Amino acid sequence: MIDFTRRKVLGVAAGTMASAIGTADLTQPAAADDAADLVLFVKLSAALTGIDAAQLAPPIDPIQIKRAYFRQAKTDPGFESLMQIVRANPADPVGAANKIMNSSNQQIKYLGRSIILAWYLGAWYQPMVLAQTPPPSPVTPLKVISPTAYTQAWAWRVAQAHPMGYSELRFGYWSDEPLPIEDFVKARGA
Amino acid sequence: MRNLRELAIVAVGAAFVCMLNLHAYAQAPISDAAADINPPVANCNLTPDTAPDPHDQSKHVATPIDSKLLTLGQPCHQVVSQKGLSTDALANLQRGFDFYSWLTFIALNSPADGETIGQGPRPGGDAATKWEALSNYRPLAAVMLEKGSEPTWGTRIVPELCKPLDAPGKIILQLGEAAWDQPFKTGPLIDQNGNYALFDILINKPMFDFIDDNGLYSKQGQERFDRDIVFPEGVNPAANTPGRMGAVMLKVSWHILDPSSGKTLMRQFHTADALIYFPGPPATKTGPTCVAKTLGLIGFHVGHKTKFAPQWVWSSFEHVRNAPNEKQVAERDLHPPYTFFNAGCPQCPNNKTPPSPWDPPASLQFHSNHKSQVIRSIIFPDAVAREVDDLNKRFRTLLKGTVWENYMLITTQWPSDAQSKTDCNGAPMPTFLANTTLETYSQGQVPLASSSCMACHGNATTRHVPAIASDFTFVHEKAQCESDFCGSPAASKSTAGTKRCGLGGGMPQ
Repeated sequence: MIDFTRRKVLGVAAGTMASAIGTADLTQPAAADDAADLVLFVKLSAALTGIDAAQLAPPIDPIQIKRAYFRQAKTDPGFESLMQIVRANPADPVGAANKIMNSSNQQIKYLGRSIILAWYLGAWYQPMVLAQTPPPSPVTPLKVISPTAYTQAWAWRVAQAHPMGYSELRFGYWSDEPLPIEDFVKARGA
Repeated sequence: MRNLRELAIVAVGAAFVCMLNLHAYAQAPISDAAADINPPVANCNLTPDTAPDPHDQSKHVATPIDSKLLTLGQPCHQVVSQKGLSTDALANLQRGFDFYSWLTFIALNSPADGETIGQGPRPGGDAATKWEALSNYRPLAAVMLEKGSEPTWGTRIVPELCKPLDAPGKIILQLGEAAWDQPFKTGPLIDQNGNYALFDILINKPMFDFIDDNGLYSKQGQERFDRDIVFPEGVNPAANTPGRMGAVMLKVSWHILDPSSGKTLMRQFHTADALIYFPGPPATKTGPTCVAKTLGLIGFHVGHKTKFAPQWVWSSFEHVRNAPNEKQVAERDLHPPYTFFNAGCPQCPNNKTPPSPWDPPASLQFHSNHKSQVIRSIIFPDAVAREVDDLNKRFRTLLKGTVWENYMLITTQWPSDAQSKTDCNGAPMPTFLANTTLETYSQGQVPLASSSCMACHGNATTRHVPAIASDFTFVHEKAQCESDFCGSPAASKSTAGTKRCGLGGGMPQ
């Protein structure tokens, strides 16, 4: 499992600001030939983020945010090359994630990082912007992928909290201890 | 011999535990006191939307939508399955819930006198419905009384000013802001005749009894209540256990009909002769006064707390004439007349709140010539829209020739992850749901800003300070203060050890 801790993720995102919100509806069902890739994309995302696949994309999933991130990632020129690595050994997404994050191909290497940031922050950071040396300060995302992506961003849950203006917790939750982190990021019963 | 005896003891013990488990529900077992609040019912409708194909158990076939469904009663809880007509488990569950919603609609709108829906004595087979009978449902205004007085089930409260206008069969609609102002105070809805749409909230007896028995009908009563608010749930019968209906609440919307000039129109709506009571300030700027109107039903929300849905199941219906959807407008596929859309002005600004002032006068005619131009936003995935459309066609065909063929299901919102500890709204499916008459101005797909029954109702609390979560209903906010004295905020109650969604348990040290 990639050791991509909350500190590292928030460190990358520190000082950023949201730019224009993407307006395209990215949650329409993928074409039939994308269905298999979508499954691999979720497995890869679990390995990249450290969050269980069953949390990222529950079996019964009304929100389908995975499709939004899949379609966004697919717009990047490095996506096909990235997916080839995953397809080469679908049973080992952790191995694929390691290869991606350490790839000598900058497009693939930083696309992996963009995917992590999409899941954690609900925003799309262009891989080639992340790859700049030195990186820009702040690193500005291209866009917040959607209003739903904002509310579903995993940074909030990893912080055992919720986005500004949106909470799925019951009234009065602030007067009690937060739930354990495992309740947020691990599959139930894991 | 000794081993056999030990084996027998273990077997008996296991059987005893199994018997106990038959009485286990998603929440705590029903106590004797709770059983009175949520008594057994004899006729829970157990019909699922599909069943295994007798010729091929790996497949499912649709339950016929025929006249048998008109008399089977109301489901006490949803009967749904991941297996169904599709290979998509989510789609199958959604269809199951939508089918349950139609069964609920038919049962609640059946005549109060026990006849079959659509076979009443009025035009279009219309009749006073089960939910309009005070023996079955009670308007919220008759629950949350002045001075926090205890309500009495079944009694008909006729305000003094309404008595000269009263007659058998009339319903009393007492106005407060919620009766004409949309949620989030987004404004009134004005029909194409310039009349206000009116809204009412009603609760069934288990829900009423929970409020009454626990003193929650007054602000101080809510302060004195020292437990979590957990309404009784509906559950279908199982071996050795009866079915129970659980808490059901309704929100209905009406528009004003003119019986003399719209006879054809009258046959297309469920109607009620109503006495509209304006209590006067602070509830209404106008009044006190009472007016008589004929109302046509235009919207119908049902919230039902059921087994496996502690976040409740939310069904929404509306009249087919309310407004076109945005696709119909774009394609000029219009079928006027609409109650809330002028087909002659498709480019008119739509879904805009009326100009102020908003408080209705006694005539219930809007003060300017503004008329709401409403378009139904398309906010569901295509697959849901297609499935609902298919069910609507079939059920409306079943109800053909009656007023009820003019009503359609928008869809059903339900918790796709009812046991989630981190999403206390249960991951609503679909994410958004709005009725053009009840959430006109909050249709959309922006989280929390756009209408979602569960995301909004998940924030409901009691009226007292500090408030507590009130189990997905805003009814408690309407409680009045005892003897006109509201008192000071009550002391905080400890929640230590309370296991509720979203809480780790225990106050921080």
